[in-house]
Amino acid sequence: MSYHHVLSRRRFTIAALASIAAPAVVRAAPRVAVTDVLDRRVTVSRDVARIVLGFYFEDYLAVGGPGAHERLVGISRGAWEGWRNSQWKAYLSALPGLSDIADVGEVDAGTFSVEKVLSLDPDLVILAEWQYRGLGSAVAQLEAAGVPVVVLDYNTQSVERHVISTRLLGELLGRPERAARLADTYATAVEEVVRRVAAAGGERPAVYVELGNKGAGEVGNSYGDVMWGRLIELAGGANIARGRVSRWGPLNPEYVLAADPEAVFIAGSYWTNRDRAVLMGFGVDPEITRRRLAPYLERPGWQRLQAVRERRIHALYHGGARTLHDYAYLQYIAKVLYPEAFRDEDPLRTLQAHYENYLPIRAEGAFMVSYFGA
Amino acid sequence: MASTVSSARQRERTRARRRAFTLVTAFVLLSITLLFDILTGPAMLPLGEVSMALLSPTTTPQGMVSTIVWEIRLPMALTAVVVGASLAIAGTEMQTILDNPLASPYTLGLSAAAGFGAAVAILSGAALFGRTEWAVPGFAFLGAITGCAAIYAVGRLRGLSSGIMVLAGIAILFLFQSLLSLVQYLASPETLQEIVFWLFGSLLKASWQTVAVTAVVLFAVLPLLARDVWRLTALRLGEERARSLGIDVERLRLRVFLAVSLLTAAAVSFVGTIGFVGLVAPHVARMLVGEDQRFLLPLAALCGAVMLSAASILSKLISPGAVVPIGIVTAVAGLPFFFVLILRRGGGAR
Repeated sequence: MSYHHVLSRRRFTIAALASIAAPAVVRAAPRVAVTDVLDRRVTVSRDVARIVLGFYFEDYLAVGGPGAHERLVGISRGAWEGWRNSQWKAYLSALPGLSDIADVGEVDAGTFSVEKVLSLDPDLVILAEWQYRGLGSAVAQLEAAGVPVVVLDYNTQSVERHVISTRLLGELLGRPERAARLADTYATAVEEVVRRVAAAGGERPAVYVELGNKGAGEVGNSYGDVMWGRLIELAGGANIARGRVSRWGPLNPEYVLAADPEAVFIAGSYWTNRDRAVLMGFGVDPEITRRRLAPYLERPGWQRLQAVRERRIHALYHGGARTLHDYAYLQYIAKVLYPEAFRDEDPLRTLQAHYENYLPIRAEGAFMVSYFGA
Repeated sequence: MASTVSSARQRERTRARRRAFTLVTAFVLLSITLLFDILTGPAMLPLGEVSMALLSPTTTPQGMVSTIVWEIRLPMALTAVVVGASLAIAGTEMQTILDNPLASPYTLGLSAAAGFGAAVAILSGAALFGRTEWAVPGFAFLGAITGCAAIYAVGRLRGLSSGIMVLAGIAILFLFQSLLSLVQYLASPETLQEIVFWLFGSLLKASWQTVAVTAVVLFAVLPLLARDVWRLTALRLGEERARSLGIDVERLRLRVFLAVSLLTAAAVSFVGTIGFVGLVAPHVARMLVGEDQRFLLPLAALCGAVMLSAASILSKLISPGAVVPIGIVTAVAGLPFFFVLILRRGGGAR
C-alpha cells in the first residue's frame, strides 16, 4: 500500500513539473524532426538552448565547438568526473563553467533523477544508448513531460553509428558543416586503415588486449566484440578474446600463453586509489605508465611470448575507445601490427591534431605508450 | 550371549571396513579429478608433455609447457582441492556444533562478511602492511572473522545455544548482504565489475601463495578437530546426552567454532564466494558413512575437494579460454547430482 502511495506521489510530482515545463515547449517554436541511432523519430526545437547530456562529453564539445558547454544545464557528472578524472580536470581548467552545471545523476549507478532533469527545464536530453536502455520507463516519463530524448552511440565502435551520432549532434547543435567534417574525417581515416591493412595482406597477427585497472597481479578484463576488441579487428589483428568472451571478461592466463599473441595492448586510465593500475590520461608522465607496465612482463611465461620477444607491448588510454577520435588509436594499433604499411602515419599527431582543431584542451599526457619506447 | 557380542563385533568390523572402502574410493576419485584438472586446459597441451613437465620440473625442454603446468594449472588445481576440503570441513562442523543441517559458511553469512571486506578493499584501494595485493584477501579474512565474532558474541549472551547462534548467523548474512549492496551502489562501473567478479568466486587468483596459506590453515586446524572427533560424534546424539557423557558442550562449541572460522576465512578470502560446497559436501558424506566423525570428517573433506576439483575441470570445458567463475559452475552442476543422491537415499540427511 505504501508502495502505491509513493508511486502516486511521484507521478503527481512529475505531472506538476511537467505542467511547469510545458509552457517552455510551447514557447520554443520552430521545431524540427531528427532520427537518432535507434531509428527513433524525435521532434526537437530548432535551436536548443538547454541541454542535459548523459555521456560522450568530448564528442559533444568537439561537434558543438566553442560555447557549446554553455548550453549544458545538466550532465551525468559521475560518468565524467568519476570515470575519466584526469580528462575532467583538464576540461575544467579550460572551461571553469563546467563545475556549475547541475549533476542529474548517473544511470549505471542508479542515481539518474528524472525529477532533477525536469526541474532544469531542458529542451533536449542526449543519452548514450546504454543509458537509454538502462533508464527504461523513465524515458517515457521525460517524453510525457514534453522533453525530447535523443540517443547517440559511439560504444558500438562502428563507422556507421559513429557517423550517424556525429551528424545528429551537428544537426541538434546547429553545426552541420563542422559535424560533417568530423564524420568524414573519421570515416575516411577508418577506411584508409582498412585499405592499407588489406593491401599489406599476410596472416592477421594474434593480439591480446587487457584492461589494466587491477595491475599485473590479477587478470583484468579482455574485450570480445566491443570497444578495443572491435578496434583490433578493424586494425587487421586477430583478437584472441574473440569468441571466448562475448563483450568483456577475463581470459584464462594459460589461454593467453597458448595463443602466443604477437602484440599485447594494456588499456590504462587515471584510476584513483590504485597504486598498481596502469595509469594513463591527461597530465600523466608516460614514464609512470611504463613503470606500471613492467610487472606485466614478469607474469608467468610472458617472457616467452612473441609480443615480449619482439618488443610489442603497448598501453592505450582507455578513455580513447568509443569516441569520435578513436581512429587515432585505430591507427596506432594498426601501425604496431603493420609497421611498414603505416610508416608515414603518426597516430599521436593525429590525436593531437583532433584536439587542436576541435577541442579547447591539448592532448598532453600518456595516451599511446610503447613499453620499449617508439 | 557370547555369540551375540561377537556377531555385533563382526557387524561393527564389516561396517568399519565398508566405511574405509568409501574413504579410499573418494580418495581415488579425488586423485583422478586432480590429475584430470592438471591435464586439461585451453592450451590443449599433449598429455605426454604435461606428464613430463609434472614429473621432472627442472629438466623439461619445453619451457612453456612447464610454465603452464607449474605456474598456472597446478596452483589452480591445488587451490580447488584445499578450498573445497576446507569449506566442507567447516560446513560439517558447523552443522554438528549448531545441530542444524542448513548451517554452512555461506548460510551463516561468513561468505557475505568476507565479500563485504573484499568489496571495501576493492572500492577504497586500501593497502595492508603497505601491500595492495594483500588488501583484498586480508580484508576478506577480517570480514569473515568479524562475522564469526559477531555470531559468537550474540550466541554468548544466551549461553552459546545453537538456536541463537544460527539466528545470529542469519542476521549476519542479511546485514553483510545489505552492506555489500551499499558498497556496490557506491562503486563506479569498473570497480563494480571487479567486486561482482570477486563475489562469483574464481580460481583465477590462485598462486602458490594461496595454496600455501590455505593449506597451512587447513593442516593446522585438522589435528585440533581430530582431537575432538569422539566428542563431536557424541554431540550428534544430542546436547543432553553429550553432557551426561561428561562433555563440556559450551567449550567444545567455542573451540570448534574458532577452528571453523579460521578455516572458512582462509578459504573464502582467496577465491571468493563459493556457496554450495560447504553446505552440500557434509550431507553427501553423511549419507555415505553416517555420523561417526572419524569417517565423516575426512570423507566430507574429500567430497568437498572432489566437488570443487570437478567444477574446476567443468569450468574449463564449458568455455575454453575464458574463465567461467567456479562459484557459478559448482552450484549449477552440483545441484542435480545432490538431488539424485537425496532421492536415491530417501533422505538420509538431517
